Amino acid sequence: MAGGGGGAAECREHLFKVLVIGELGVGKTSIIKRYVHQLFSQHYRATIGVDFALKVLHWDSKTLVRLQLWDIAGQERFGNMTRVYYKEAVGAFVVFDVTRGSTFEAVSKWKHDLDSKVLLPNGSPIPAVLLANKCDQKKDNGQTPSQMDQFCREGGFVGWFETSAKDNINIDEAARFLVENILANYRSFPNEDNDVSKLKLDPDPLKAESKSQCC
Amino acid sequence: MADNLPSEFDVAVIGTGLPESIIAAACSRSGQRVLHVDLRSYYGGNWASFSFSGLLSWIKEKQEKTEVSEESGDWRKLILETEEAISLSKKDTTIQHVEDVCYISQDSAEDVEEAGALSKLPDLGGSVTNETAQQSEKGCLALDKQLLGTKGCEMSPETIASNDLECTPEGEDTEVISERESSYDATSGHSTLEIEKTDNASTTEVSNLEPKKITYSQIVKEGRRFNIDLVSKVLYSRGLLIDLLIKSNVSRYAEFKNATRILVFREGKVEQVPCSRADVFNSKQLTMIEKRMLMKFLTFCLEYEQHPDEYQDYKDSTFSQYLKTQKLTPNLQHFILHSIAMVSESDSNTTDGLKATKKFLHCLGRYGNTPFLFPLYGQGEISQCFCRMCAVFGGTYCLRHSIQCLVVDKESGRCKAIIDHFGQRISANYFVVEDSYLSEETCTNICYRQISRAVLITDQSVLKTQSDQQISVLTVPPVEPGQPVVYVIELCSSTMTCMKGTYLVHLTCSSTKTAKEDLEPVIQKLFILNDAKETESENGGGLEKPRVLWAVYFNMRDSAGIDRNSYDSLPPNVYICSGPDCALGNDYAVKQAETIFQEMFPKEEFCPPPPNPEDIVYDGDGTQPEDPGFSISPEPEAEPLPEESSTEEHNE
Repeated sequence: MAGGGGGAAECREHLFKVLVIGELGVGKTSIIKRYVHQLFSQHYRATIGVDFALKVLHWDSKTLVRLQLWDIAGQERFGNMTRVYYKEAVGAFVVFDVTRGSTFEAVSKWKHDLDSKVLLPNGSPIPAVLLANKCDQKKDNGQTPSQMDQFCREGGFVGWFETSAKDNINIDEAARFLVENILANYRSFPNEDNDVSKLKLDPDPLKAESKSQCC
Repeated sequence: MADNLPSEFDVAVIGTGLPESIIAAACSRSGQRVLHVDLRSYYGGNWASFSFSGLLSWIKEKQEKTEVSEESGDWRKLILETEEAISLSKKDTTIQHVEDVCYISQDSAEDVEEAGALSKLPDLGGSVTNETAQQSEKGCLALDKQLLGTKGCEMSPETIASNDLECTPEGEDTEVISERESSYDATSGHSTLEIEKTDNASTTEVSNLEPKKITYSQIVKEGRRFNIDLVSKVLYSRGLLIDLLIKSNVSRYAEFKNATRILVFREGKVEQVPCSRADVFNSKQLTMIEKRMLMKFLTFCLEYEQHPDEYQDYKDSTFSQYLKTQKLTPNLQHFILHSIAMVSESDSNTTDGLKATKKFLHCLGRYGNTPFLFPLYGQGEISQCFCRMCAVFGGTYCLRHSIQCLVVDKESGRCKAIIDHFGQRISANYFVVEDSYLSEETCTNICYRQISRAVLITDQSVLKTQSDQQISVLTVPPVEPGQPVVYVIELCSSTMTCMKGTYLVHLTCSSTKTAKEDLEPVIQKLFILNDAKETESENGGGLEKPRVLWAVYFNMRDSAGIDRNSYDSLPPNVYICSGPDCALGNDYAVKQAETIFQEMFPKEEFCPPPPNPEDIVYDGDGTQPEDPGFSISPEPEAEPLPEESSTEEHNE
């Protein structure tokens, strides 16, 4: 799902699918809610029946980014994700809870699962950012920043952030950092997906057909 | 993730094949709490698709026939005096006679593993340019050739799903494929030409006369690029599954390609069947008179019901006899009978044939020049799409989870719970069970049909054209009466089901013998099976057949159409789903799912459209993205645009 682009000089619009994964209760849904929701809390609806939340970013004067944040729905508990979930994702947040060491231990497992299920079209892993969530409740027995840097290098993460969905710490920054990485990949492989014979089933194809005919 | 499952649900669904997955999605969508489990480690049961290594493990598992050690029976202690248990089967007996054959050298491939996640490019920063990627790809291939027998690049062998692995830079792989394609275009009609405009990304390189051969180690290493379906089906573009996918908006999870051509095997040759008006007029193999005959007949078929007098006298004859009475040449009769109506020569009557022809014609043109769609990544994707939908509405998923028994309340005769392999009792009001989970005792009175299947990896298309990216549906009529018709679906690499330079060929028929006995004669007619070297020198002509690189045969049980009452003593709130049927389309599974859902919840709508996720758009600037500027997105994969989503809500 490399984003599309218009003419070179015009505004480019990208649609990026981003996964949010990690153990139960680490705050995945809270992070998505905080990130997407903060300006429009009155419009927020229940998560049930929604497989992603959309955030529109006016990245710069020429670039519009539509970010689909995919939560892992009811399947998370027992760790059996369908391929549909991973398919064509271009970036991921792997979340753990700084107050629960076991959730950090599971990070590598999630990263491995991610890399075994989805790759960029060029065959490299999708960029993943590690989020140390609930940093507002942090005690001083966790990893040091230098340990975290090393962990990221070894684990193939492009970076890490201490975040708090509760206090809105670093979430925008982490998202911005991930989008930068996704855009960098996109610029390297701009014309990957030009197979126009792929079909999406339109909810009302007849209507679409007649639409195109009348033009 | 080690915590226990909740112990109370509304609906428990056992098995993740297509009908069970549709039911799970429908129940979850209508607010039921759904538990969906599968004994296997993968989604789909007999509807699954596998990477190459995944399929090899599946073959091994099926060949070993490991006796499941009899359970200790401890769970029986959990059954109360007022209850009875119906035990479920833990071994799958639906697959038999599995045999895989490799037709190319396997030397040096022993230690090669499927290329896994941590892949070729060590640099994840995204600063790699297209050019360097190409080089390292090349480097990697070269390296592999030197290092065969060692682990090529970093590997992670266990992968079931692969993803968008297409799009390695073009050119590199093309040499492997393109052969004398550029010159071979005898029968391609208008339709292929049209498709080429869009679909020939990797063709027309007239490279070395000597094609690079695909090696077994390449297949193993590129194994993630394969998505090999156990069931070979296509979607009729106006069939029930397409309608359901659209209505429920589950279609948003999938992408499709239109089959590009319909082929027929006749007098030892593969030919393209002209089926649309444009095809007929552009056909080079039909004479002018034949074109008129065919158009006239097809036009009649579209509205045959309004002209009963035209076929009244032949109602009781077979369709093939009826065709003989029409003004049609033998050539045309063959096309219509086998590739358009796709009905049996010996036992389909005129009305069946006309109905089937009409259905075929009715499907033309909705999405393309043939009536069929194929899902990217394979048919196995479709059941997973419904599972995702179920999960999004709160369904709980658990693979590798076996169920010991159904617990039946003696007094009411209803099933009240299941007991899983941890001994946990999970209660529910309704139970949906895929029939391979039923024990022998429950199925004593049932006699099953079988489906014969073969899957081949080949090096060329059965009918070469300029484009190497064709999706073909081919019918091979029986050689002798009483033998089955064989349906062949040939998939190219852009369907995301096989690696570049190869084709994935599925053969299916209803069994008369073992799969190999049924299908090998057909395969021998269409392909070269033995090692390449000798045949190539003998067969200097342009009509060289594709070579089979690797093949697997197996028989799958066909349990479609079994009357519920033939099972021994099932409680009324236990519903049985059958495995895949032998038909080309998916209507049977959809009908079954809808029927079961309506029996459980007669007042609920079946899979209504979900609220659109775009309804909760949050824009940093506070404007909803209704700006028409966005709706002309050049991105073909864009999710439904806002203006479309509003029409969608009115859809039902």
